[in-house]
Amino acid sequence: MATAPSRQVVQDSQSDRDSGGYIRLREILVGPEQKQLEELQQRLEDRELRAEDVSEVLAEAIALRIQRDRKLQQVFDPLVEEAVRISVARDPSILANALFPVIGEAVRKSVAHALRALVDAINQSLERRFSIQALKWRIEAFRTGRSFGEIVLTRSVHYRVEEVFLIHRETGLLLQHVSRADQVVQDSDLVSGMLTAIQDFVRDSFRRASDQEIDTIELADFKLWVQSGPAAMLAVVISGTPPPELRNLLQRTLEKIHREYGPAMRSPQRDTSIFVATRPLLLACLLGQQPHRRANRAKVLFAAAAAVLVILLALTTISSLRAQRQWDALIERLQLEPGIVLTQADRSRGRYRLIGLRDPLSTDPQSLIAAAGIDPQRITTRWEPYASDDAKLKSLRFLTEKTELEQDVVRFSLNSTELAPGEASKLDDLASHIVLLQQSGNATGQRVTVELRGHTDRSGNETKNATLSARRAEAMSRGLVARGVSASMLRTVGMASSEAVQRTPGAYLPEMNRAVTFRVINESEAR
Amino acid sequence: MIQMKICIVGAFGVGKTSLISRYAQGIFSEKYKTTVGVKIDKKVLEHNGNSVTLILWDLEGEDALSSVRPAHLRGASGYVLVIDGSRRNTLEVGIDLQQRVERASGPVPFVCVINKADLKDSWEIDASDIEALQRRHWILIETSAKTGTAVEQVFQRLTDAILREQDVAKYGTSALAG
Repeated sequence: MATAPSRQVVQDSQSDRDSGGYIRLREILVGPEQKQLEELQQRLEDRELRAEDVSEVLAEAIALRIQRDRKLQQVFDPLVEEAVRISVARDPSILANALFPVIGEAVRKSVAHALRALVDAINQSLERRFSIQALKWRIEAFRTGRSFGEIVLTRSVHYRVEEVFLIHRETGLLLQHVSRADQVVQDSDLVSGMLTAIQDFVRDSFRRASDQEIDTIELADFKLWVQSGPAAMLAVVISGTPPPELRNLLQRTLEKIHREYGPAMRSPQRDTSIFVATRPLLLACLLGQQPHRRANRAKVLFAAAAAVLVILLALTTISSLRAQRQWDALIERLQLEPGIVLTQADRSRGRYRLIGLRDPLSTDPQSLIAAAGIDPQRITTRWEPYASDDAKLKSLRFLTEKTELEQDVVRFSLNSTELAPGEASKLDDLASHIVLLQQSGNATGQRVTVELRGHTDRSGNETKNATLSARRAEAMSRGLVARGVSASMLRTVGMASSEAVQRTPGAYLPEMNRAVTFRVINESEAR
Repeated sequence: MIQMKICIVGAFGVGKTSLISRYAQGIFSEKYKTTVGVKIDKKVLEHNGNSVTLILWDLEGEDALSSVRPAHLRGASGYVLVIDGSRRNTLEVGIDLQQRVERASGPVPFVCVINKADLKDSWEIDASDIEALQRRHWILIETSAKTGTAVEQVFQRLTDAILREQDVAKYGTSALAG
């Protein structure tokens, strides 16, 4: 192009000279090139031809450019937007028809996601609504001009993000990992690989949900939240109950990472050091506060206190039931016991009271109380004595009286039928005793005779002793009859010194043998 | 920091897992292989003074009942194809598998391992089979997971092959020819 004007000048200046030879020479020398130039010029001026040329390489050129950078996408972006707008304005049905196959799925997914988030949010807000904590947060949000959600994320003590994994989606390689000092996950490389494998497994296994992924894994103490993007996913390990706002934060973080590192994540480069630059973004996700542990401890303390309370309550109930049972058993036992008549039995506030009649021969109630397992200190008793009508007790009473009587010794003066000094006082007792014995004998259908046995010591003539002993017995008989004992139930016998009277084992005392002793004879048995 | 995903594939019972357990560190139990279809272990090794982390995806054995999930092969930088020298059919399964893996993860480098070298007397695979594989330009290594023979070498060779190929892609020089 640049040579054309100069060529014109040369032509003009030399036209008059008309050097036809020169023109011919020029044609011979540069003719073909000139022709080519003219053709090229024509081609450049012809829009149709030029369009044809560009169309030949357009696709390759675009492909090349896309590989190099993202400029073309940026350039096309408004174009596509405008094109879509025009298309919709002209005929909305075209785009609607094109979107129809995917829109149902998209809406369903979006609605399901929104509903789940809503449920979470309702749960959370119900928890927060009435707490002083929530009020404080609202004030802080108002004061600082930050959103309530933001305050919740940073102040919430119900959760703590423990670890954040940035995982390459296709290979499962761990691009970056941040954690608090006390790392939860054992080997983050392996875990991120396995997580990816499990995601693949889920996608393969649930064919209808081929575009769905695991977004939450619940463990006993931890939750694993997964946020997936086209090239990478964020997995966070959380302790406690995270607020739903955390999801949004993860989504935003992942989008940011995709914007900045998208090409790096798609390239075949295996060097992952470049992703160190994502650390600040990931560290910003390590939200929540320590008190989870404290909350846990409070929970443990509460549980322990509750457990202690329950145990105490149970023990009290059990012991009260046991005491009641013991008490009931004791009363039953006392009611059944011969010779005891219970007239009143009270129990209140751990104190007991028993009132009734008791035959002195009956079993000691104190021993029954101890046997029932009740502390005798807590029981007050009042027993009025009475003679029980119980057959067993009656015979027992008879036996007791018999034994007592047979143990009695009434001593006499030396070589005399007169009582030894002080012995006379015994006679009244003896008489009433014998009367009682007779009565109880009668009550049990026995005819009783009391044999009065006279004794002497070993000194002196035995014949004389026999007489003396018989006279002593007779003297006793007279004394007793004088005191109201029926003579018919008395019998006398002189033993002389033939039967030693010994009340203390092994010791023969002469004064003990100058005496009268008693033997109770049951006539009905004797017969 | 270089990280690579490496898949271990092969017919059922060729000793893939024993090969890895001799070599790598892991935290997952065997049962993952039968449930999820893969068990993941890792090995850190040196390459030209750089530390390279291999994330080893030990894929479930290929047999009549189960086949390798293509999803698990995606993104692998390379793979180890394991054949049992004492069982001829594992060679056929291996050749078939190699083609399928290549379809799923592209023409990435791999090493073919002929395992159970300790039982070489009873091998069903003979010299002519090995020659046939060599004609395919496969990298062949005979190993014994039992005695540990050449196991380290497998992963070292594979890493070399992958990183050399990457350099070729990056700089366009034909390092492979050298």
